[in-house]
Amino acid sequence: MKRRTAIRALLNVALMALLPAANSADAIDVVQVAFEPSADGEAWLLSSDFSLSLSPALEDAVNRGIPLYFLVEFELRRPRWYWWDDRAAVATQTHRLSYHALTRQYRVLLNGVSGSYSTLSEALDAMSRLRSWRVMPRERVRPGVPYEGWLRLRLDTDQLPKPFQVTAITSRDWNPQSEWKRFNIKPESPKSAQ
Amino acid sequence: MEAVQYQAGVPEKRSVTRALRLSLLVSLALAAVLLALLAVASGNDRLLERHYGLLLGLNFAIGVALFVLSAELARRLWQRWRAGVFGTRLMARLALAFTLMTLLPALLIFVVAVQFLGRSVESWYDVPMERALESGLTLGRASLDALLADLQSKARSMALELAEQPPGQWPGTLDRLRERAGAQEALIVAGNGRIVLASGGGFEQLVPDLPTLASLRQARSSRSYAAVEPSDASSESRGLKLRVIESITVGGQFGGEPRLLQLLQAVPPTLAGNAEAVQQGWRDYQALSLSRTGLKRIFRITMAVTLMLTGFSAIAASFLLAGWMTGPLAMLAAGTRAVAEGDFRPVKDYNGRDELGMLTQSFNTMTRQLEEARALVERNQQALERANSQLASVLANLTAGVIVLDDRLHVTLANIGAERILESDAAAMVGLPITELPRLGEAGPAITEAFAELDTGPQRSWQRQLVIRRDAREGADAAPALTLLVRGAPLPGPQRGWLMVFDDVSEVVSAQRAVAWSEVARRLAHEIKNPLTPIRLAAERLQLKLVGKLPPADAEMLTRSSKTIVDQVGVLNMMVDEFSDYARLPAAKLAPLDLNALVQDVLALYAPPDANGPLRADLDTNVSLIMGDASQLRRLILNLIKNALEATERSPERRVDVITEAVRPGGSAPGVRLIVRDNGSGFPSGSMSRAFEPYVTTKPKGTGLGLAIVRKIVEEHGARIEAANLSDEQGRTLGASVSLLFTKLVKNDDNCGVHTTLDEAGSPVIMLDRPADT
Repeated sequence: MKRRTAIRALLNVALMALLPAANSADAIDVVQVAFEPSADGEAWLLSSDFSLSLSPALEDAVNRGIPLYFLVEFELRRPRWYWWDDRAAVATQTHRLSYHALTRQYRVLLNGVSGSYSTLSEALDAMSRLRSWRVMPRERVRPGVPYEGWLRLRLDTDQLPKPFQVTAITSRDWNPQSEWKRFNIKPESPKSAQ
Repeated sequence: MEAVQYQAGVPEKRSVTRALRLSLLVSLALAAVLLALLAVASGNDRLLERHYGLLLGLNFAIGVALFVLSAELARRLWQRWRAGVFGTRLMARLALAFTLMTLLPALLIFVVAVQFLGRSVESWYDVPMERALESGLTLGRASLDALLADLQSKARSMALELAEQPPGQWPGTLDRLRERAGAQEALIVAGNGRIVLASGGGFEQLVPDLPTLASLRQARSSRSYAAVEPSDASSESRGLKLRVIESITVGGQFGGEPRLLQLLQAVPPTLAGNAEAVQQGWRDYQALSLSRTGLKRIFRITMAVTLMLTGFSAIAASFLLAGWMTGPLAMLAAGTRAVAEGDFRPVKDYNGRDELGMLTQSFNTMTRQLEEARALVERNQQALERANSQLASVLANLTAGVIVLDDRLHVTLANIGAERILESDAAAMVGLPITELPRLGEAGPAITEAFAELDTGPQRSWQRQLVIRRDAREGADAAPALTLLVRGAPLPGPQRGWLMVFDDVSEVVSAQRAVAWSEVARRLAHEIKNPLTPIRLAAERLQLKLVGKLPPADAEMLTRSSKTIVDQVGVLNMMVDEFSDYARLPAAKLAPLDLNALVQDVLALYAPPDANGPLRADLDTNVSLIMGDASQLRRLILNLIKNALEATERSPERRVDVITEAVRPGGSAPGVRLIVRDNGSGFPSGSMSRAFEPYVTTKPKGTGLGLAIVRKIVEEHGARIEAANLSDEQGRTLGASVSLLFTKLVKNDDNCGVHTTLDEAGSPVIMLDRPADT
């Protein structure tokens, strides 16, 4: 996954240099993040709000029935000054946004549960609110050590139909992604956390 | 034999070439694989579709790599072209031809394919198709809407009926109403979503299907809600269900809290399936139509990548092919150069069964034959040189003089023997005509004539004995004539030339003369001596018998005559004895001998050692023992002393010195010299050189055999003899000197301690004074 994105980033750079700059305004952004241990103390929960809007091209695609896959990517890194950061934990979550033309409903499928919405903005709202995502077991982090959490939301272009993948390589309209949002985590000792 | 690879001289260069070739092959294989994958991915493979971008990138990267490789190959070709490496032009031409042959059709196919694909992609989308799909979708929607409206009206009437009844009767009424309406599930919920009453429902379903909060909210606000939903929320199943919510208007009951009736009914599966199929078709068509440009782009990119890979592969492969084809040529060229420089190693066999392979093989065969021929020539040359050097050493060691003449009788070659005999430098002789050669020049006309005769006559060689007077300036008889035995023959071979071989036979002639004389002497002695005694006896007897019977005058004449006869017979007898002695001189028996003792012994025979006598001895005590025959040497010394005494008979102050001295010349063999010197009249000029030949004498009565015997004895001892006149500054002869050099010494380096004394009988006794134990 990582390698592929790296290659794509490389290709992006290569192709962006050739093409006129596309829409530079970020369509996706991480608005706020909350990171806390779960009530049972077994896991870490992530809650986040995104601002999410679709470019006209993507909206058109959704309205024509093409499903879009959005990826929420979380990484827990332990900074190391002498080496690359240690990636302590990685978690991803996939949202599937589709339009059911027969019933004129937008559906969002997340973890096997789908919700139907009559408008696109409702569906997007539903997608942009992430609540109590169990990103990792509690013991993955060592208390007292500073960590960094990285979060982003992006369109998974790999799951687009092939013709759009080619378009996505060259067009930013077709490849919306938020910047990595970085937030500091300093887990306290287990007792004080409870 | 070791084969040579001439392809590239420097090893690292060769390894670079190999690496280049290897990477090229790998790239080609990769390109083939990736192209195949890309072609498959352009179809409808789910897995590959996910990695389509990566695949494209990889193809692009391989294309770039191939481009770089091709560029590098082209650069190297250009370099070699510039450097004028053999075979480059052919290679370039081949590479260009291959490239064009592959690229042009590929380009053509590319253009046609892009055009064709663009057209066909466009042709997929047509308005009727789209309209049909849209209509189908609308139809589906209408059917669902009709179902929904039907269910909604039923729900409304149910709600009205329920509203007229007290809530206590609702359970029975609801079941009845539900069955009448044909709904699968009926539910009465409170406004907050709490279930009040449920009817129907599947057995598999424990919890009734509750309305969502949003639908409840809508139902509360607008009194009704109707929607088509997927039958199972958790999956993308194709089933659909109708959900209708109506509010039951119950005035004032339940504290104003509304009651809501929800009816659920599954859409008939055939309808749902068909509608879904239509929707699916519409969606796919929409996706296709939306991705039209993308699709065309994909095709174009795929074709372009294919073209790029094919093109670069073609270029690279054409370089490789051209290299393979011209490689053997370059090898042969290098082999030719190597042969020109004398390196006959075979070139590496080009392992192909084609004409180039045969060419290589025949080249190697030719090289091998060349090498063998060269080796043969070398062997022959060596043999020739060996023969020449043998001939040269034979010529150098020949005592005979050899001179090679050209057809004009000019000297072209002369050996060391010729140098020695003619006493001239061989290099100085070369080029001189035969008549101008030193010494031989005198006989030049005779030789020329002989060669001319050979040229015309039938015989194959000539031989002549030529007598040449040695250096006429010294006087007529200062030197004996040089007697040369000369043979001439034509040189074999294409160039006309003459070979002349000559020997100095003066010595031989002299020796022959001596032998002849000794033979004559022996016979004379034999023949003369026999009658001498009867003659003498007869004369004496005549005198004895007749002297008394004759008259005194006659008797006196008889006496005188017979005396004369007897005297002359005595003289004859003596001469005959001398001849006999000369002829019968026995071979010397060499034994260690002290020369000093011998000299003293001989001197003792003469007058008592008188201080005023003519004989003086000056003996060197350091002389070594010589190998000699005592009796012969005694005779030799006696002869010499006698000659000297006779020569000084008329001198006022007679003096004869007998001298011995040790000679240790640096380098040459040590020797002992014996000199007999007198102050007499000396050798008469002119007889000096022949003094030692028999019957040459200066004395009034002498046989001339004295010095001849001396010479014979000297020869027997391997010694050298020299005779010379002593003269003062004015050229007056002061006397004569005869010097003998003995070089045959006793082979004992340390013989200084040998003393020789004379015993009572006067014969020398050799005593060794060294201790016996050493």
